[in-house]
Amino acid sequence: MTAKDYSGVYVVGAGQTTYEKGATSSVHRVLYEALRAGLDSAQLGWKQVDGLAVTAFVLPPDNVTVLAEHFGLSPRWLFQGLYGGASGIVSMLHAARAIQAGDADIVACVTADVFDTARHNEMLDHFNAPVRDYMAPFGFGGANGTFALHTRLYMERFAAMREDFGKLCIAQRENALLNPNALFKKPLTMDEYLNARVIAEPLGLFDCVMPCTGGDCVILASEKVTEKLDVPPVRILGGGEWHNYPGDDIYTLRAGWEKFSDRMYEQARYGPDDMQFAQLYDDYPVMEFIQLEGLQITPYGETPAFIRETDTTVRGTFPINTGGGQLSAGQAGASGGMIGVVEGVLQLRGEAGERQVPCQRGLVSGYGMVAYGRGLSCSAAVLGTE
Amino acid sequence: MSSRPSPRVNEINRPFWEACNDGKLVLQRCLSSKCAQFVYYPRVCCPHCGGGDLQWTEVSGRGRILSYTAVHRPQHESFYPEAPIQFIAVSLNEGPLMYSRLLELSSDDGDVLDRAVQVVFVDHGNGDKVPFFKLVRD
Repeated sequence: MTAKDYSGVYVVGAGQTTYEKGATSSVHRVLYEALRAGLDSAQLGWKQVDGLAVTAFVLPPDNVTVLAEHFGLSPRWLFQGLYGGASGIVSMLHAARAIQAGDADIVACVTADVFDTARHNEMLDHFNAPVRDYMAPFGFGGANGTFALHTRLYMERFAAMREDFGKLCIAQRENALLNPNALFKKPLTMDEYLNARVIAEPLGLFDCVMPCTGGDCVILASEKVTEKLDVPPVRILGGGEWHNYPGDDIYTLRAGWEKFSDRMYEQARYGPDDMQFAQLYDDYPVMEFIQLEGLQITPYGETPAFIRETDTTVRGTFPINTGGGQLSAGQAGASGGMIGVVEGVLQLRGEAGERQVPCQRGLVSGYGMVAYGRGLSCSAAVLGTE
Repeated sequence: MSSRPSPRVNEINRPFWEACNDGKLVLQRCLSSKCAQFVYYPRVCCPHCGGGDLQWTEVSGRGRILSYTAVHRPQHESFYPEAPIQFIAVSLNEGPLMYSRLLELSSDDGDVLDRAVQVVFVDHGNGDKVPFFKLVRD
């Protein structure tokens, strides 16, 4: 059965804090600044928020409920993301359902984290029981070691070359140079990519994200609220999420997008060929390859050929991660699951500045909750202006 | 230096870690005759069929390397002196996938993907043993 679409709900604002190297602030403050930026973009006021969705790894021992108190908000709907980098989009989709049902009118979906490499590694050693008890004691190398194993297998099965991953990373860096908020400011060459310090074979330094401080936010509103706003509305044309797929095999080099992408495109009434950009979850380039396949942009195992033939910069035929993505803008923990949504909304509003691509619709995608050998959660949505 | 990441022994996994200390590899096996699959990591139920009856069973300790990486930048400083860490995904002969370390790898071994391995138990530095693997050399 095709699920109900997301009509009657609009993304009316998107905001991002300044991204900064290192752990430079409190996560509460970064969440505040992201929420403020989102509300400013929507031309909405602080006390108008009646739904709040928050994802931040370093928020405990506080949680979304305590945060509402900290912020002086009295929401009638709350959500906290427990799906790692899939949470940003999951929060947006769940918020849209709440608005459709009349349980909230204005929902702020906020993500942020305050990370440097040491804090990131410390968190990951205790991320959940499977990681803590059955991976960390073996010197697994954190997410780098975990995804090195996937990268190695992808290269083996599909004859991918390091240069294929490198070309995507280099294109994202080119996009990042047009994004004032991206932390990486210098172009990346193939020589630098291939000869970078080895982190976990075959991954080098530029296959890995830099943990940083930052926050992102989108504001969703009902039709009634949106009608009164003077902002360019963005619609959620389709979406979905899937978890722990396939349950019994970690190394299918799939992660669940293929379970809902048909339904998502049916909801959207557009197909994969109609997508004009993709904002992918880029914790590692191999996961972008796997996402492109699950989202049907490329056939299974054929992303290397696609990448060799396609210009994925903002000047190209299929722009990927038009703001540089996490690999070139920085990974602010759980905000990695929202950075692409904010970028997608800015593109669709025509507010992307020098990196603007002509577009009426595009893909956003999330992935996360690294547990035993892989991320357990994936999510995606088609956003559009019509 | 903070202490090396160690497994937390609890009511779910205690038989596994106690067996390691005795030099034995044990896995849970589903007692449903229709399923009978082996389970790792330790669970409270069978993730294959949802059955609630699992029995700890000694297994061969043999498998093959499904994927491999040399970790040059371990996630915890206690591993730095041993880097690069040979981190492996082992497909055990009984079915489950186990993450571990490959010991005694030499430059003559070449690519270890798909190679057969045998479990060995190594002191984790706190008196408790953890299961690592070595290549089976014919």
